[in-house]
Amino acid sequence: MAEICCEEAKSTPATAVAAASVSATAAAAAAVAVASSALERRRRRLEMRRFRVASDPEELVAEDVRAAKRQRLARTLSGSCPDAGSDSDRPALPRYGVTSVCGRRREMEDTVSIRPDFLPGTSKHNFFGVFDGHGCSHVATMCQDNMHEVVADEHTKAASGEETAWKGVMERSFSRLDEQAASWATSRSRDEPACRCEQQMPLRCDHVGSTAVVAVVSPSHVVVANAGDSRAVLSRGGVPVPLSVDHKPDRPDELARIEAAGGRVIYWDGARVLGVLAMSRAIGDRYLKPFVSSEPEVTVTERTDDDECLILASDGLWDVVTNEMACEVVRACFRSNGPPAPAARPNGVALPAAGAGAEDGSAVVKGVGKEDSDKACSDAAMLLAKLALARRSADNVSVVVVDLRRGI
Amino acid sequence: MDQQGAGGDVEVPAGLGLTAAEYEQLRPTVDAHHRYAVGEGQCSSLLAQRIHAPPAAVWAIVRRFDCPQVYKHFIRSCAVRPDPDAGDALRPGRLREVCVISGLPASTSTERLDHLDDAARVFGFSITGGEHRLRNYRSVTTVSELAGPGICTVVLESYAVDVPDGNTEDDTRLFADTVIRLNLQKLKSVAEASTSSSAPPPPSE
Repeated sequence: MAEICCEEAKSTPATAVAAASVSATAAAAAAVAVASSALERRRRRLEMRRFRVASDPEELVAEDVRAAKRQRLARTLSGSCPDAGSDSDRPALPRYGVTSVCGRRREMEDTVSIRPDFLPGTSKHNFFGVFDGHGCSHVATMCQDNMHEVVADEHTKAASGEETAWKGVMERSFSRLDEQAASWATSRSRDEPACRCEQQMPLRCDHVGSTAVVAVVSPSHVVVANAGDSRAVLSRGGVPVPLSVDHKPDRPDELARIEAAGGRVIYWDGARVLGVLAMSRAIGDRYLKPFVSSEPEVTVTERTDDDECLILASDGLWDVVTNEMACEVVRACFRSNGPPAPAARPNGVALPAAGAGAEDGSAVVKGVGKEDSDKACSDAAMLLAKLALARRSADNVSVVVVDLRRGI
Repeated sequence: MDQQGAGGDVEVPAGLGLTAAEYEQLRPTVDAHHRYAVGEGQCSSLLAQRIHAPPAAVWAIVRRFDCPQVYKHFIRSCAVRPDPDAGDALRPGRLREVCVISGLPASTSTERLDHLDDAARVFGFSITGGEHRLRNYRSVTTVSELAGPGICTVVLESYAVDVPDGNTEDDTRLFADTVIRLNLQKLKSVAEASTSSSAPPPPSE
């Protein structure tokens, strides 16, 4: 059903902007309606009230305030847009959208980190990270706070921006975060709030960990480093290109590595290391070393004119949505948001409108004005999260959509 | 469990990590508290942990049916069900509701206190419900003192449980042993830390 609706959205003529918007809305409604009876619709409406949805910077700030007031330890997102006042000094923002929802899980343990222009001395490199915590949220929060700084530091030390250097930069960065996780309890500064597991028994946080899927987007390349079962997917000419491969314990090479190290994988509600953890790599989880490794798999992908978007998301999305479906949803949102009309950016900054004239007859929409990209990406991220919830994802869902289209 | 031959050499169960002499001292405890009539479709296991702390200090932690998270991993919260007849007393029949941290193949566990013997230092509980795959799980933990130079306490924990459909005895034992071994290691850390942190009483003359 959702696929049919997305097809309808895809076939909407470029000139029918309003109709496209309606189709996108219908697609969203249809996604929510999938597998829904009247009874389930009512239940979902009740559930939706409990969901905490953060999809734009203003909402994120408000949510941070609420989080602080309620002393909640899990943070949903960081890396809001810079102040409007510094517009003239600020390089162009990456075009991205992000959504995080708690979903059916009791706790929100996902974090997302977006750091525009994060490399000192090297311009136009943007950092995106999705971290799906388990056991507690403090490892995911630590990755959210520190990963981009560690990557920048390792990049500086590498003294080279060449492609081959990125593998080492990422491997050392993940290793440092893993060490930080292991020593977190002893090295935590006094002013940091104690997380839930530390309140119960300090210095006993070996069973906390997090996935980490990280992307560095430059004008020429997309670098992805992944440990765990979150995922990065590129949409290129309408075709999904995986930039990471999930670290599931029964992946043949992971299974071989674990068993060579003396561990075992058994099927206990899915494949699990020692029957306990459902992923074979993660930051933290010291109690399962060396079977659960923090070493990332790194890919360096050269960007092309066919590239449409990059999607980073936790397994709350990927467990119930295929790469193909995710890319289709984003492309539908891109089409429904183009050609652009002048609009203020979410942070209130109005950029010059794109030149007039849509590209006629093009199956792939390109050249969307910057001022509209954030909305398209945000719509896509939100729609993907709603689709995951409609398909009864059992986990937190965090989605980042980055517009990679080249244009004005 | 392995049957012991009458008299003669003692065979220590594999993987227990105890010497033959140590096991000989513990055999009465094993015979009394750690043997199960295991039927088809079930398995059982016995694990041991040496702890350099007085047995009384270790027992004070083990017996906390109301607060297992002091030495057990993976617990998000634990609440003992109110019992108007018992008040705060921990005695057989009490139930606790354990919530498990995320990322594990379980979310809740309802557990019943079966034995609490402060004189013999025997603690037993069984799992009566919850969302997990351990059916008919029952467990006994004992705290024993080994004679010999230096303080040496040995905690024995054993269990019997059904083998779930689709898994083998080995799978089941691996999963349960992993969790118990981690808990016993934590118990060792907690007990030894609490013992070393308390000031020794001044010698009396």
